[in-house]
Amino acid sequence: MLDTQKRHRNTILNFAAIGVLIVFLLIIDGIGSVKLEQAFALFAIWGIAAVSLNLINGTTGILSLGHHGFMLIGGYITALLILSSESRARIANSARSQMNEFTLGLSIKNWFEALGLNALATDDTLWLRFIVAIVIGGIISMIFGLIVGIPSLRLRGDYLAIVTFGFGEIIRLLASTRLFAPFTNGSLGFSGVPSEFGKSLWWTFGFLAITVFVMAKLKYSSYGRALQGIREDEIAAEAMGVNLAYHKVLAFAISAFFAGIAGGLWVSWLATARLDVFLFTLTFFFLVAVSVGGTGSVTGVLIGTALVVFVRQYGDPLEESYTLWQWLLAGGVLLLAAAVATLIYRNIRRLRPRLNASIYIVVGLGIIALLIGLFAASGGQLQSEYRAFGMRAIILSALLVIIMIFKPDGILGQAEFNWAWLFRERKDQPTDEERAQDAWLTGPELSKRLEAAETREASAETAGESSEAN
Amino acid sequence: MAMLEIDDINKSFGGLQAITDLNLKVNEGEIVSVIGPNGAGKTTLFNLITGVYKPDVGDIRFEGNSITGLKPDQIVDRGIARTFQNLRLFTNLTVLENVLIPQHHKLKSTWFSAVFRTPGYLRREQQMREQALEKLSFFGPRLMSFRLYQPVYVLSYANRRRTEMARAMATGAKLLLLDEPSAGMNPKETAEITQIIKRMRDEGGYTILLVEHKMNLVSEISDRVVVLDYGQKIAEGDYQDVVNDPKVIEAYLGKKAEGDEAQNDQLTEGDGRTS
Repeated sequence: MLDTQKRHRNTILNFAAIGVLIVFLLIIDGIGSVKLEQAFALFAIWGIAAVSLNLINGTTGILSLGHHGFMLIGGYITALLILSSESRARIANSARSQMNEFTLGLSIKNWFEALGLNALATDDTLWLRFIVAIVIGGIISMIFGLIVGIPSLRLRGDYLAIVTFGFGEIIRLLASTRLFAPFTNGSLGFSGVPSEFGKSLWWTFGFLAITVFVMAKLKYSSYGRALQGIREDEIAAEAMGVNLAYHKVLAFAISAFFAGIAGGLWVSWLATARLDVFLFTLTFFFLVAVSVGGTGSVTGVLIGTALVVFVRQYGDPLEESYTLWQWLLAGGVLLLAAAVATLIYRNIRRLRPRLNASIYIVVGLGIIALLIGLFAASGGQLQSEYRAFGMRAIILSALLVIIMIFKPDGILGQAEFNWAWLFRERKDQPTDEERAQDAWLTGPELSKRLEAAETREASAETAGESSEAN
Repeated sequence: MAMLEIDDINKSFGGLQAITDLNLKVNEGEIVSVIGPNGAGKTTLFNLITGVYKPDVGDIRFEGNSITGLKPDQIVDRGIARTFQNLRLFTNLTVLENVLIPQHHKLKSTWFSAVFRTPGYLRREQQMREQALEKLSFFGPRLMSFRLYQPVYVLSYANRRRTEMARAMATGAKLLLLDEPSAGMNPKETAEITQIIKRMRDEGGYTILLVEHKMNLVSEISDRVVVLDYGQKIAEGDYQDVVNDPKVIEAYLGKKAEGDEAQNDQLTEGDGRTS
C-alpha cells in the first residue's frame, strides 16, 4: 500500500475508533450503574494525571514524584471558584471556618455578575464557569510547574526525585498553614463541590481526549523528539543543540497544567476538596500506572491506569470475609493457574525443560489446597471466617511484580499502539529487494546465492506459466 | 581571519594541568588532525571548544566572535558540532530521529504550533526530513530505506559511527569536531570513512578538526597536523614534517638512553617473533 493510502486508512480507522469509544460510553451511560460510571470517570481522571506524569517520567526521563502537589493546586482552585453560594454561606456561618470575606468572594459567578454578564451567572451555565475555573487551576498549576522545573536544571536522577517529592509535600503542607488557610479553609476543606462534571463520562473523557491528543502530538513532534533525546542522553542532546533548561521546564509546565486539570476533575468526582485526598499515594498510583503500562508510551499508560483503577474500584469482594476453606480453594486455583501460565510462557519462550521442579511443587501445593478445601470443608477450623484487609493493594503489588519480571519495560514498553502495528506493517524491516541490496553491501559473495535463488524462482514461474498455457 | 582561533587557553582539573597555553588556528575548508599519546589532552581540547568545560584562562573565537563560556547548545547554534569518542547516540530512537533531533534548535515554531501541526510547522518538519536524508545519503545506501526506521541499538558499530557523523552534520554546523571517527572500524571501513571525511570537506563544505590514532587516515587527509603531549602543543605542520620531528618521536616512543640501542634491538626482534 502506498504511504498516502495508509494515511487515509489510518485517519478512517482513527475516526472509527473514536466512534466506537463514543458508542461504548453511551452503552455504559445507558446501563445506568452509578458504580460503573464512576469507575470509568475515575479512569479518565487518573488517566489524565498519569498521561501527564508520563511526559516528565517517560518522555523526558526525569523521575518526578510531586504530581499530587500540582493536582492539589488545580483541585483547590477549581473548587474555590465554582463553589455554590449555599456552600459558601455554610462555610461563612461555620464557627470553625478559616476563610474570610475576600476569599469567600472568589467566585467566577461574582466576577461574571460584576462584569454585567448575568446570563453566564445562572445555574444553567455552571458548565462554562467550570471550564473557566479548571483552566485557571491548570494555568496556576503550570506556574508552579515552572518553579519546580528550575531545580531540574542542576539536579539529576534520585536527587531530583527527592526535590520534586519535597515540592509536592510542601504544596500540601502550605495549603494547611495559616497563610493559605483563608483560601483552602485549612484542614476542613470544602464540601459541596459541584460533582456533575467529575462524575460525568462525557466531561472526563472529553478532557482525557484533549490530554491524549496533545501528548501524542507532542511526542511525535520535533519538541517530543528533543525531550526523548534528553531522556536518552542528556550530554549528547546538549551537544546537538537542544536547550536543556528550556525543554525540561517546558515538560514540567505542560505536565503540571494537565495535572491541574486532573485535580479539578478529581475534586469534582469526590465532591469535596480536602487535603487528605492529595496524599503522596496518589502520585504512587500514577507511577504504578506509568511503569506497568510502559514508561513513555501514552497508550501503555492508559492500559496501566485501567488496571490500577479497576482493581481499586472493583476490589471490594477481595476484602470481604470468607471461610478458610473458600480461601484454600481460591489459593489452590491461583496456584494451578500460575503453573499453567508458567507452562505456556516456557513453551512460547522455548525454555527447556518444559516442566521443571518448581512447577511440580506449585501444582502439588495447589492440588493439596484444593483437596483440603473440598473434602475437609466440614472440619471445625475450616469453617471459621477470615478477612484480608488490604488484599487490593496486595493484588496490585503482585501484578506489578509479575509484570516487572516478565516485561520490565511495562506492558507496551516504549512502543505506542498504532494501526501499522496492528497490521504488522514494519518500516524497519527490509523488503526482499532491499534485503538483497543489503546482502550485497555486506558481502557481495552472498548475493550470488540470492541471485541463484531468484533465477530458480523465475524459471519455476515461467515453467508454471507454460504448463498453464498447455 | 581563521575560522576558529584558540588563544593561550589553560585548563586544569585540580592539580592536573590538562591544557597549557595552547594556541590553535583552523582556517575555513581545512582538515586539521590533532594527534598525541593517550592523556595528551585531545578530548579535553574538544570539550573546551564545544563548551562542556570552560577554559581557566584564554579565549576561543569562532568566526571572530568569542565563544568562551557559552553553553554547548549555544555553541552548536553558532556552528560547531562534534562527535563523541565513545558514541553517544540516542540508542532507543530510530536513525531518522537521531538525525532530526540536531535540527531542532533551528526550528522557529513554538511547541504549540508543533502540537497542532500548523502548516508552517509541517513545512519545517518536511525540510528537516529532507535535510536528514541528505546528510545520511553521504554514507551511501547503508543508512537509507528501511534502516531509517530502525532503532540505533540494532545497528552495527560502524553504522553507529556513521549515524553519529550524520547527526553532527545535521546540526547545520560549519566546523565539525570528529573524535576518533574510525575507532573500532576494520581497515576497509577506515578507508571508506577516510574518503567520506574528504568528501565532507570537498562536497559538504565543512571544516574539520579531528582527533585520530590511525596514522594512515591522518596522513591521507590532513592538511595540517597538530601534536599534543601533556597538554602542550609540541609540533604543528605537514604530516611528514611532524612525524619526523624528534620531539614527536620522543613523545610517542620515549627518549633513547645512551647505550640503550642493543636493548631496543632485542625488543623489536622479540616483537617480530611474537607477531
